Parts: sequence; C-alpha cells; structure tokens
Amino acid sequence: MSDHISAGHAPGRTFPRQDAPSKALGAEKYAVDHYGEGLLWAGVKRAGVPHAKLRSVRVEAARREPGVLAVLTAGDVPGPNRQGVVRDDQPVLVEDKIRHCGDGVALVVAESREALARGLAAISLDITELPGVFDPEEALAPGAPLLHEDHPGGNLLLEGRLQKGRGAAALADCPFVAEAVWELPRQEHAYLETENGWARLDESGAIQVIVSTQTPHRDRLEVARALALDPARIHLRAPYCGGAFGGKDGVTVQSLLVLAAMAFPGRPIKMWWSREESMIAGAKRHPARLHYRLGADREGRLKALAARLVYDTGPYDHLGGVVAALGLEHAGGPYRIPHVELLSQAVYTNNPIGGPFRGFGVPQALAGMELTMDLLAGKLGMDPLELRQRNLAGPADASPAGVKLAGVEGLRGCLDALAGHDLWRKRAAWQSQAGPHKRRAVGLSALLHAMGYGPVIPDEARARLVMLADGRFRVYSGVVDMGQGNASTFVQIAAEVLEQPAHCFELRQPDTDEVMSSGSSSASRTTYTYGNAILAAAQILRARILREAAAILGPRVKPGDLRLAPGEAVHPGLDAKVPLRQVAERLSVERREAEYHYVAPTTQEPKAPDQTLALHGFPHAVYSYAAHLAAVEVDELTGKVEVLGYVAVSDCGRVLNAQLLEQQMQGAIIQGLGYALFEDFAAPRGRSLTPDLATYIIPSSLDAPAMENIFLQSKDASSPLGMRGAGEIGINGPLPAIGNAVARACGIAPRRFPLTPERVLTALGQLGDRP
Amino acid sequence: MIRLTFSLNGRPVRLRTAADKRLVDLLRQDLGLTGTKEACGAGECGACTVLMDGEPRLSCLTLAAQAEGRELTTIEGLAPAGELHPVQRAFVERGAVQCGFCTPGMALSAAALLARNPSPSAQETRQALAGNLCRCTGYQKIVEAIQAAAAALEAEP
Amino acid sequence: MSRVALPRDLGELWQEMDRAPQAMLYAGGTDLLVRRRSRPQPESPLICLERVEELKRLELRGDQIYLGAGCTHSRLLASDLVRQRLPILARALAVLGSPLVRNMGTLGGNLATASPAGDTLPPLYALGAWVELASPCRVKRLPLCDFILGPGRTALRPGEIILGVAVPVPLQGARHHFEKVGQRAALAISIASLAALIETEASGLVRRAHLAWGSLGPRVVTCPAAEQALEGGGLNRESLSRAARLAREAVSPIDDQRASAAYRRRVAGNLLLRLADPA
Repeated sequence: MSDHISAGHAPGRTFPRQDAPSKALGAEKYAVDHYGEGLLWAGVKRAGVPHAKLRSVRVEAARREPGVLAVLTAGDVPGPNRQGVVRDDQPVLVEDKIRHCGDGVALVVAESREALARGLAAISLDITELPGVFDPEEALAPGAPLLHEDHPGGNLLLEGRLQKGRGAAALADCPFVAEAVWELPRQEHAYLETENGWARLDESGAIQVIVSTQTPHRDRLEVARALALDPARIHLRAPYCGGAFGGKDGVTVQSLLVLAAMAFPGRPIKMWWSREESMIAGAKRHPARLHYRLGADREGRLKALAARLVYDTGPYDHLGGVVAALGLEHAGGPYRIPHVELLSQAVYTNNPIGGPFRGFGVPQALAGMELTMDLLAGKLGMDPLELRQRNLAGPADASPAGVKLAGVEGLRGCLDALAGHDLWRKRAAWQSQAGPHKRRAVGLSALLHAMGYGPVIPDEARARLVMLADGRFRVYSGVVDMGQGNASTFVQIAAEVLEQPAHCFELRQPDTDEVMSSGSSSASRTTYTYGNAILAAAQILRARILREAAAILGPRVKPGDLRLAPGEAVHPGLDAKVPLRQVAERLSVERREAEYHYVAPTTQEPKAPDQTLALHGFPHAVYSYAAHLAAVEVDELTGKVEVLGYVAVSDCGRVLNAQLLEQQMQGAIIQGLGYALFEDFAAPRGRSLTPDLATYIIPSSLDAPAMENIFLQSKDASSPLGMRGAGEIGINGPLPAIGNAVARACGIAPRRFPLTPERVLTALGQLGDRP
Repeated sequence: MIRLTFSLNGRPVRLRTAADKRLVDLLRQDLGLTGTKEACGAGECGACTVLMDGEPRLSCLTLAAQAEGRELTTIEGLAPAGELHPVQRAFVERGAVQCGFCTPGMALSAAALLARNPSPSAQETRQALAGNLCRCTGYQKIVEAIQAAAAALEAEP
Repeated sequence: MSRVALPRDLGELWQEMDRAPQAMLYAGGTDLLVRRRSRPQPESPLICLERVEELKRLELRGDQIYLGAGCTHSRLLASDLVRQRLPILARALAVLGSPLVRNMGTLGGNLATASPAGDTLPPLYALGAWVELASPCRVKRLPLCDFILGPGRTALRPGEIILGVAVPVPLQGARHHFEKVGQRAALAISIASLAALIETEASGLVRRAHLAWGSLGPRVVTCPAAEQALEGGGLNRESLSRAARLAREAVSPIDDQRASAAYRRRVAGNLLLRLADPA
C-alpha cells in the first residue's frame, strides 16, 4: 500500500468529477458533436429479414437520387470483410447470407441526411428467405438450420461444463429439491448517445476517426483486419461516451465509417445511427433460459446443484462465448455446495445480436441461482436470509465453480448488515400496513462479481503521466470513460500521490496516437487496472520530483526530507520551498514523463477443464460482493409492481471516491430494476416488436425508488489500491431481489421476466392457470 | 427557405433556413450549439430539451419556423458565460452527472421547475423530470441536486 | 422541403387552408412530427396551429367549461378551473406522456389523433363532453362519442378544424376517479384506463354513474349496464363486482406487445373494484 495514496485525506472522500462541469454546461464534445465543413453523411441499409440468401442488392435507383454520392456493397470491401474479437464471424457488409434483421447490406454516402434517407429507401434486395432458428434450444436440435455452415460446433458457439463431487446424481439423496426453469429477457442498453462516429482520410494517408467506443485500440485492429489496412494508418480517438454499458465494446460504426472515408478522401464523414437503427443493429444482453435444480438436507445445508444456462447469442460471436463462460463461473453463486454439475451454452440464432452488457452473463446466472434459493427456502420452511448465511462459502472453500472466493467474508458482512436493517427486521409490520388491494413483501439476493479478463488474456494497463513545463501535470487516460467517471479517478489517484489540487491536472481521453493499449473499458476493470498503473506512474514521478527538488536545495538535503504541497516541494525543517515550475525546468522532457505497465493478478486455480474455457476467461482472481434487498408492493387489481424501498450493501474493497461509487451502484440498480420489471427487447421470429424508446421501456424518474447504499470496505490485498471492481456488481441484484419479493407477495414465483403486470396478475391466479 | 428572427440565449438571431428543419438540427449542425443532444428523435427521452419562452420543450419535435419571434434558451445559455447556473453547480457538486448526455435536458427541465416552484418536494421534482430519461444515474442524485439547488436559490438574498 | 405556416388567428388559418387544401395541420407536433419521422413526406405543406388565438380559450360559460382545442395539456393541468371543477380530467392529464409532451401537446391534438389510448378521451366521455368544429362558414357541435369514429378516425371533414370542447360542469360533490395502467409511471401508453364520474345522493347511494374505459376497444368503451348496476345502490364489493363482470363483457380489447386481450379484459373489471376504496 502506498504511503501517499490517502495522505491527509479520509478514504473515500469526494474528489470533484473532472468531466462534470463541461458536461453540465453542454460544452463537452462527444463523438456525436463533430461535424465539419463539407460534411458527408454515411448510413447503412439493414436487411429487415432474419435469415435469407442475399442474391443481389439493387443499388441503381439509390445512386440516381440527388445528393447520393456512393452506394457500396460487400464487393467494395477491400479486405476479408470479417469482424469479431474471438471468432471473426460478422461481415461488415453482408456478402451472400443474411443472419438477422439488423445485418448491414449496403453503405450509402450522401451530401445530407435527407439525401441519405432517400438513398437508403431507394435500395431494394433480391433475397430468398431461409428457415430461421429463433429458440436457442431448438437451434441445438439435429437438423436445425445453421447460422454458420463453417462452424465446427454447428449452432453451438461455445459450451462450458464443470463438475464437482457426484454432480447432479447427488440430487437424488436430497430430501428437499427446488427445481425451476427461469426465462430472462433480452435487455437493450439504451444508452442515450446512439452508435456514431466521424472519420476523414487525410492527404498523408492517415485516417482520422472519432468514435463513441469502449475499445479504441482493439477497434483499430479489428477495422484494419476487416478492411486489409495497416492499423498504423488509423488514428482513433475515443471521447467520453454518452453511455455504453458494454454496447460499445466492439466495433459498431467503425469499419463502415472508414470504408466511407476511404471512398472520399479529405471529406469528413459522419455516421449516426438513429434510435431505431441502434435498436435493431446493436447488441443486447443475452436472453437466457436457466434450468436449475438445487437440493438441500433437512438442516438446510446445500448439497447438490445442477444448472444449465442457455444463452441466445444471436447470429454472431460478439463475445457471446466469453459471456457464457463468465455465467458458468457465477452459476452457483457464493455458496458451499459439495456436488455440482454446471453447463453453460452460447447458441447461435437468427435473433438480434447478444453481446456484452454490464454484468456480462452474470445477472442471468445469479438470477437463476438466487431465485432458486428462495424456492428452496420455501420448501424448507426456512428464512431465506438464514439459508444464505448458513451456506455461504468461507475463505477456505471454493465456489460451486471451484473458484477460491478471496474476500468472501465481506459478503457475510453484507448479509449481516441486511439482517440488521430495519427494512428486513421490521418487514412483518411494514407488510401488514399494505392498503386495500395491495400486498407487500421483501426479497433479497446475495451477489458476487469477478473482475478482469481471467487467466489467459493479459489484463494490463500502460499508464502515462506527464509533468508539464509549468509544473502542472497531464494525465493520459488509456481506457475510455463511458460515463462511469474512471478518468476522473485517474486524476484523483495522481493528485493524491503528488499532493496537488485537481486544477493542476489536465486530462486527456484515449487517443491511439498518445497512449498504448490498456484494454477495454469493461469487466469492472478500469479503475483497478489503469488505476494501479497510474498510481505507480505517479509514484515514479513523485520520486523524481523530490530528488530534483532536493538537489536544488543543496547537497545535504535528501529527497526523504521533502514533502509535496500545492505547486511546490517543501522542506519543513529548513522552512524552504521549491516551486514545481522550477523542478520542471530542470527535468528533461523524458524525465518529466512517467509510464507504468501494470498487469492485474490472475489465478489458475482451479485449472480450466479445457483450454477453450480458459481462453474465454475462466477463472478469475478478484471478486466483489454485495447483498441486496427490495421492498415491493403488488397491486392485486392490475398486477403492477412498485419498488418502495431498496437497500444494497456492497463490499468492493477500499472506497476511493464515495460519490462515484454511489453513482455506479445507483445506476446499476435502476438498470436492474428495469430488467426485472419492464425491459424486454421482444423479437419473436427475429423481428423486433419494440423498435424504439416508446415501446422499449426503461425506468423514468417516477419508477425509480430512493435507494440506500451501504459500503463495507474489506481490505483487498490483491493490489496496492486496495479496491476491487464496482461497475457491474450492482446490476446483478435487483432482478432476483425483486423477483423473490414478488414471489412472496403472490405466493408463487413467476418464472418469466420482466414481471409485467400481466405476469403478476397471472401469478395472482386471475388469468387462468397459475404458472 | 425562410427568414427567421428569434432570441437565442439572450441574443437576437437572424438566419435563413428550411422552414421544416427540426429545431434540434438547426441548433446543433447550423449554429454549432451541440450541448442540445438528440437521443430518440421522437419525444421519448428529453435529451433535446430547450426552453422556449421559458418553457421546456422537445427540439426534435419542433420545426425551425416555430422559433420565429420566440426566446430560446439552450444549455449553453442557461447561465452567463463563464458561470454555472445554481442547478448546474448542484449537478456538479452532488454527483448528478455521469455520462452527461441527459444532463443538458435535465438541467433545463430542472431550471424551469425551480422558476415555477422554488421549493419542490422530491416527488414534485421527480414528476418534473419524468420526460427526461437517464440511463446512468438511477435519478437519485439528480433529484438531490435539484433540491440542493432550490435550497441554494432560496438562500440567495 | 415543406412550407410551414403559422397563422395567428382563424382568418389567417382559413386563408392558409384555402391556399393549401392538402396541408397537414398540427398543434404540438407530438403525434404528427413523430409519424413524419418514419414516413417522410417532404413536400407536403404544414400548418402549425400553436399561435391561433381563438383556439386558446379556457373559460366557464354558464354551466359549461369551454376548453379551446389549442390549450396545451400543461395549461389545462395548471388551470384552477380544470383542477377544481374537472378533477377527473386533471388526473388523466397528470399521467399523459411527460411534462415535455404536455407542454407541447394539445387537447385538440389528442382528440384529432383519436387513439384508443388517448388519455383525455375517457374522462371527456364520462363528462359528456361536446366537440365544437369550425369551418370558414359555420361552427357546429357534436357529442364526443359521435366525433370519434375509430382508431385514428374522426368526424372531422376536410376544411374543418376542432375549435374546442364544451364540458358540462359536473355536480358539486360528485366523485371523480381516473386510473391508467401503463408500462411505467410516466411516458406510458395506456394499456387500460377507467374514468368514473359518480354522482351520489346525500344518503351515499349512487344516483348516476358515468363510466368510460380507454384502450379496451377501437373507441372509448362505455357500458350502460355496468352503470345501471351501480345506480341506486352503494359502491360496495358486491355491486362493483357485478358491474365489473358486465364491463368485461362489454369491452373488445386487442392483443399487442404491451398486454394480451385477456389481461385487458380482466383489468377492465378490476379497475372498477378500486371504487370500493376510500376516495
């Protein structure tokens, strides 16, 4: 632990968010705010059918539209025309086979948005529709139509299996077994800034790209590969995103934009997906079907778990295998269970693309486990909190997936905190105060969430920090700030080590010309990985500054005699000061620059049963923990569910900035509330019924309850910063906590989510058979 | 093309434009005021909120011609240059800003609320924001910030 | 590129309509400009009604309250006349769209759109409202229930506009009730709604019940049988359950992605049961 990280400050104090003033003033320039003289607009014709042979694209009418400058199709793509991080199975523009409604079939470049719209409307397709697969389990049946004929696994993108003890066979010995199949919806990110970017091919041959993305360096490689370009030609800048949540983890507009830019040298090109296009073409949280069987002995000790998680990954990999692997790792929750059999599958279908979304397969897995835990508690006649406390893994245990849960004692603390909370202790009285036609109940969930990339892909960061000639500093962020405030935290960490106020720092957002790759803004890793790197870089710079300042004060002064103060180095004993400007003048440009390469810890314990699973990230070394409680009121006349109270107790290690941490938790909880109650990107037979924000329902200010967030701060020994990931864990809790509360209120657990009024009224027995 | 005259952030503006251009496009692309955001184009999210004669309004569902003779305020004009409006200051201090894409619309809706109701309850505040969707914050810090701004405004002499 | 006219009074409006008979009229733009997004009609002229002075009246006229078609929902909601004398309408307005939509959308627009889910329609039905239509040569009135013909269809003829709505002032002491079931608490399209205006005797017995349901058929649904089931008795579980059964028979809801017809039918009756609760 650094001596200087919290010198003089209470841990978790509030450091001002560096981006807040410019955003509040409307002055911050997002990717979407770039236009320019001579701007051209680029747009994509979408397939509109879920599965078809594409015979030809009729482009002539579009080319004749006034203002339309070019219509490009797959034949105009100079390279292999393939994108994807693990499997590159997604074409930039469809060659001969359409695999979902949102596939791009043609790229139009026009002089105005109006001309672009006319051009896109004038394109027609010559296609032969193919039978599609729309249910992942049907997609696995023999003879099902194939999405990718060249994939050795057929429609099975990836599956992971884990077994411990006697596996599912041990269920036969359990006097109490809870069994259910849970159905979770496809969730749309619904970030406010839809996918967009700006590009221009310069005379030098360099391609300037400004794009709303979480993965600037990886994008550059993907685009270069798809279009057969030298990646060094692509200069990509990633400003603050207007939200991303995983939906900008991977290319969206990038290859298309660069393709358009290559066709019109010198002209700035803008592509900005409409909300409807973002909805149909963008990735979603994987819908999941979760088959759970959980058995216990008469004392309520968990004995056996069999779970099968089926993730609908849509037509392309898009990290779907990694999502399924992370789900597998979390599928048994944080419990001690001797006999376990887990299977997690990511399956190709002709539905919308499944991809990364905050939580990355874990919200589904933990929902399956935590909802089944309450079913089991019901069968046992046991208090659900007590069931969790009794079975919580200890530091010496492994999780059902066989992973050592470092710091799991923190979760016991979270559960104990809920047990002592008034909303839990006084729930009987609160429930009895329900008004006419209302039922109240309280539900909870116990959570964990892994941080980082797992054992194979290096989870690393290369931080860069510069002392400017005037004695101030510049922090280069190497990982995108999509709204979570990590860039600000990097400044905070540097400011605390260098003991300088915030205004002495400039902050630069990721730019492939200015920083080396530090990986994606994802996996709850940014503050942990880049934060530890910037911490070390700041310590290096601090040492150099003190050494130089000591030299200025004379040969008898040692660096250790000095401390830093705003704008100066101070020798308290001699009452002497050296302005940092003077220090900067004496340091060479190279010495004023500090870089540090940090690699996050990994574990090989347990060893993945096969290398594929390891490549997809199994297992992880660092976990965060939380326990959530939801207090709900169900209306017996309409089935409406209202969340009236919410408490989340989280242990993400040391709190660097309480305000930013609260922001993450509050936002995640309300996204999770939407997932539990409203959100369902419904696409029967691959066609969307919820194409816009009028039909895809996210919570409004009137749907979000006031929340109480409590943070425990277990020491985390895995890194100098002492913190763990916090960006995702909050979204795991609401669906099972609310689901368990509603089940208690109704007397029966609805199996399908979201819990629409209709599903709840059905659970109340008012609409035919109860589920 | 029509000739339009209106007041924009306190200054008179005269320009020629297509009458049916959406106000959000006029502001963002022609006038460079990109603080006004667009996120749905259909009145469902409030990111494009501007004040027209002091009243919050969706600039994606307003045509340029409708600006004639009006007083428009965008986020860039909510406070005098170089200053923060009390709502903006409270948003910054109270952690109400995350990705920031809803923030301009939120701040304008909030400023209009406080102009009409200097001390709104939490519920009244939530009601006033119900047309401004936010995907990052869960709204809690936004509501708290607006209540803090109300208190700060009340305390002003 | 479309021409956009902004007439300031009826005289100018008639001139504009005469000049461009094919022009599309809009007031707030919250319906027309959204539709125009998916089906661009770049050349068709537009007439914006937001400045037409005669459409902004909001006043008590004898035993009627007159609501100009150009009154925005926000203005109606802020008016003491509406809040005190027409609480049933105020409650519907309070959950219509969002504050931004209410600042722009107008009563006339809500009627002209004639959506089965239009939030102001059930309360106006329950209130027995009349619609006033105008053309250059005459003004006429017809009952709201004769004005709305079906989803998106009204009795408005070419060359006519909606001038306003005349609402008979309900008796003092009548119970005003409105409830809407939507997918969320704001920005919600109605899945089902009920407006109930209940006049009671001093004894507490129901003298007259006016009931109107939204989103439960191609038009607002009324159900005289359910009203009669309540009249002459108290609002209790038995009478309301009887009325609820009749209401479920009277509605003709559809399935859509928001809810099934079966759910809507069930809730059509259930919403009546709320009347047993203290107001």
